[in-house]
Amino acid sequence: MAGPSGSPKNELLKGTLDMLVLQTLSGGSLHGYAIAQQIEARSGDLLRVEQGSLYPALERLQRKGWITAKWGESPTGRRARYYTLTAAGRKQLGNEISSFDAMLVAINRVLRRA
Amino acid sequence: MSIVDSLRYRWRVWTSPRAHETELSEEMDFHVGLETMQREHAGHGVVPPREARDAARRRFGNRTYYREEARRAAGLGGLDALAQDVRFGIRTFRRAPTFTAVAVLTLAVGIGATTAIFSAVSALLLRPLPFPVPERLMSISLTLPARGGRPELTDAAWSYPQFAMLRDGQTVFAAVSLWRSSQFTLRISDEAERVAGEMVDAQFFPVLGVRPVIGRVFSPDDDRPGAARTVMISDELWQRLFNHDPLVLGKTVAIDDGLFAIIGVLPPTFQGLSGQVSFWFPIVAAPPAWGLATVTAPDFRSYYGIGRLRPGVSYERATAMVRQLAPRIDAAYPISQIPGAHWSARATPLDAARVDHESREALFILLGAVALVLLVACANVAGLFLARAASRRREIAVRLAIGAGRGRLVRQLLVESGMLAAIGGLASVLVAAGGVRVLVAAQSDGLLASEGASGINTGSLQAITLDVRALVFTAALTIATGLLFGLLPALQSTRPSLADALSSESATSGKSTRRRINARQALTVLEIAFAVVLLAGSGLLVRSFARLAGIKPGFDPTQVLTMRINRSPDWSRDSIARFYDIVLDRIAQVPGVTSVAIGDCPPLAGGCSPRASLTLYDRPPAPRGAEPVVGVHWITPGWPAVMRVPLVRGRFFSPADGPKSPKVALINEAAARAYWPGENPVGRSFSINQGDTIYIAGVVGDVRYRSNYSPPAPDIYLPYHQQQLSARMMLFMRTSGNPGALAGPVRRAIKEVAPGFPVYEVTTMETRVAFAVESARFSAMLLGLFAGVALVLAALGAYGVVSFAVAQRTREIGVRVALGATSRDVVAMVVRQGMSLAAAGGTIGLVGALATTRLLRAQLYDIEPADPVTLVSIVALLVLAVLVASWIPARRAAGVPAVEALRGG
Repeated sequence: MAGPSGSPKNELLKGTLDMLVLQTLSGGSLHGYAIAQQIEARSGDLLRVEQGSLYPALERLQRKGWITAKWGESPTGRRARYYTLTAAGRKQLGNEISSFDAMLVAINRVLRRA
Repeated sequence: MSIVDSLRYRWRVWTSPRAHETELSEEMDFHVGLETMQREHAGHGVVPPREARDAARRRFGNRTYYREEARRAAGLGGLDALAQDVRFGIRTFRRAPTFTAVAVLTLAVGIGATTAIFSAVSALLLRPLPFPVPERLMSISLTLPARGGRPELTDAAWSYPQFAMLRDGQTVFAAVSLWRSSQFTLRISDEAERVAGEMVDAQFFPVLGVRPVIGRVFSPDDDRPGAARTVMISDELWQRLFNHDPLVLGKTVAIDDGLFAIIGVLPPTFQGLSGQVSFWFPIVAAPPAWGLATVTAPDFRSYYGIGRLRPGVSYERATAMVRQLAPRIDAAYPISQIPGAHWSARATPLDAARVDHESREALFILLGAVALVLLVACANVAGLFLARAASRRREIAVRLAIGAGRGRLVRQLLVESGMLAAIGGLASVLVAAGGVRVLVAAQSDGLLASEGASGINTGSLQAITLDVRALVFTAALTIATGLLFGLLPALQSTRPSLADALSSESATSGKSTRRRINARQALTVLEIAFAVVLLAGSGLLVRSFARLAGIKPGFDPTQVLTMRINRSPDWSRDSIARFYDIVLDRIAQVPGVTSVAIGDCPPLAGGCSPRASLTLYDRPPAPRGAEPVVGVHWITPGWPAVMRVPLVRGRFFSPADGPKSPKVALINEAAARAYWPGENPVGRSFSINQGDTIYIAGVVGDVRYRSNYSPPAPDIYLPYHQQQLSARMMLFMRTSGNPGALAGPVRRAIKEVAPGFPVYEVTTMETRVAFAVESARFSAMLLGLFAGVALVLAALGAYGVVSFAVAQRTREIGVRVALGATSRDVVAMVVRQGMSLAAAGGTIGLVGALATTRLLRAQLYDIEPADPVTLVSIVALLVLAVLVASWIPARRAAGVPAVEALRGG
């Protein structure tokens, strides 16, 4: 599971991580660790990013007003910050998915796979 | 709402960045903790906790890096950059201490001086008077329309019955009041002192809207003839005599020879309309020595009128009503001294009457001068920043080349100029506060405009305090200039091609550099022009002051001590003379006093003697209204000798000129010239107001009684043994040593023979002479100071331009030297550039000076506004200053060795 740090291979495209976070949160409020877990689980460990990179993304998304944060209690009883998708965030997710899809189609075309 | 959420987030991050950081840390701890637990769990106890923890940390990545990234993403990166800019700025300032000091000083002086002067103008002219609804207050005065050669008299005083007619006839004012100020003897146990008091009526305090802190104001009953004497005292007197005792009401004080019961105490903010007043009492309660009949007599015209308008009444209506009542008042109480003249009356807003025209003008001239200083300061700051940007061109190009963001560079330059502005702004508060203190001191010395046209002393009504609005305004102006000029070159410097700027020599051919030099030259020319205008103004004032100070007042003021002593006002003529004889004899015995005499009026004190018309016996009677008018003075025989007033003809008085011998008089040269031109007046005779025949014993030199700048008027002197003396006499003592040192011994000597008679106004004659020109000296000094500051700033500007040009032309100079130019040639070339700045600035400045110094005309004595001597000398001063300013860089240029200059690319 643990990947070597700092190597460019492990870096996601910046916008991609944001999109993944938004997508993950569309199911409901989660804390940071849970978001990381879900992204890893869903990608089948293919998207190996350092978990720390999640946090700048979370700040960025808050700053844009797409998610909000609130302190709550985790199931283990510790204080944890829960992130929630805002209406604007949901809309942004829709936009990003469609432009991502468009890009995928384009890339596939270039690679002559479609 | 995404915007609301976003703003809420930003607000939180910006207001508590520390908390934000802690929370991020906590969140990351939580994350790594969960991951560790997960790994321990997954390993079924096989994985040791330590290993699990390390693995979790690896999985998380570089924590410090992500924390920084998160901070940046949160928008806190800017804050870090700001701190960095500030640190960098401080380093830059340390490297260029001269630039920093000059910029800070320029800002401090420019802002500070302007604020200080504006504070004075604001207190004396602009701030509303400190009374409730001050715009409803009006000053009401008698006027005498111009007639023949006599100018209009606009602010004549009322007599009690005249004002009573106005009070009863008017319908425009809710209430009117009359008042006058005077000096009184206040007796406390066996000590006596002279203090100022105001005689008022019952409406005085209600009209002004001033309330006592304890007790009450005068009731109509207190204001009735024959009522028990009542008085209100000032906070200062309450403190000094009664130590703020709240049980002061009902106690009595002795004023002149009357006993007054205290009924109220006024707040410290009110010191009377004439300033520094200790008490107020009803006019009708005047002490017995004054007498009710005297203060209410129709010829006792010495009251000022004030009124508070009824709601809805305009100034115009009030003036119309007052004017309409005037003929009735004139019919009842005509002016007897000037035949054919008739009283009129007018009402002016109290606010407009508070400072006389001349003082108002002087204040605005100062304000204009200081505004020029501010402009010069702004130009200098702008020039400094332009120079700075030019000299840092290379540094900026390097930073751009190694990848600094353009916005980041601009921001950094802005932070630097902002820091300078902030430091300069702070320093300016100190300058302003210091300046205000100087002005307050000047004000309490009576140097600033204070005596208004209607007896009102605005200076004491409104203390000069630092005007915060002015400070903010001037600071904003100057700092905006700094920021603007800090920014313009910043934008410019970040645009040029990098390679161009990196090779410094090609910078000399860079177009933007040339443009910048031109901009700086223009700024410097402007500075020099402003400085010339200021120099011209101050030069004229200084010359005018020198003329004033150089005027011979007609006597020798050195080693003369003066003081006043009051006799009891109800003495007969014989006992007065005897009283003064005793006092004079005793003073003459004081060691150090060589001679002593009495006169009724000190010279250079605004003129205080009564005037009288003469009937000359050797002339046909003059038509009524055209009789010779003279100032009348009473002196003891020794007075001309003590004052060293020269005898021109005839003789001085002698002790033989007693009550029983023929009446004699001395006349001054002005009287001799006016009434006996080309003749010998000695032995001629005249009478005063149809009184006894008086023979002229001698002619003496002219003494300036009014002021240095009013030419002497015809005066006559009468010996005190032959005439009724006025109540206030002045002692003049010629001493062998320092006259000031004798004040104590003389006071003690007087107390021996005349205990309980107040001695006051103890000053040397030299102090009086100095005071007479003090306000001229003060304006000359202030304007001179401003002009000096402007000149220094302009010279600095010239220095900056020339030395920058030298730095840019180092190579050219080297080539010239290599080709055989001597160091003298180089110096001449550089100095020539400075001189061309001086020529341009000086020419514009002279034109400006010729246009503006005309405004100074009223302030100038015996100097034309276009005085060539002044203009030539200020141009010489300017040339000298610029010469020095360009000489320094010129020497530096001349020292450049040819080889080094050629290599130094």
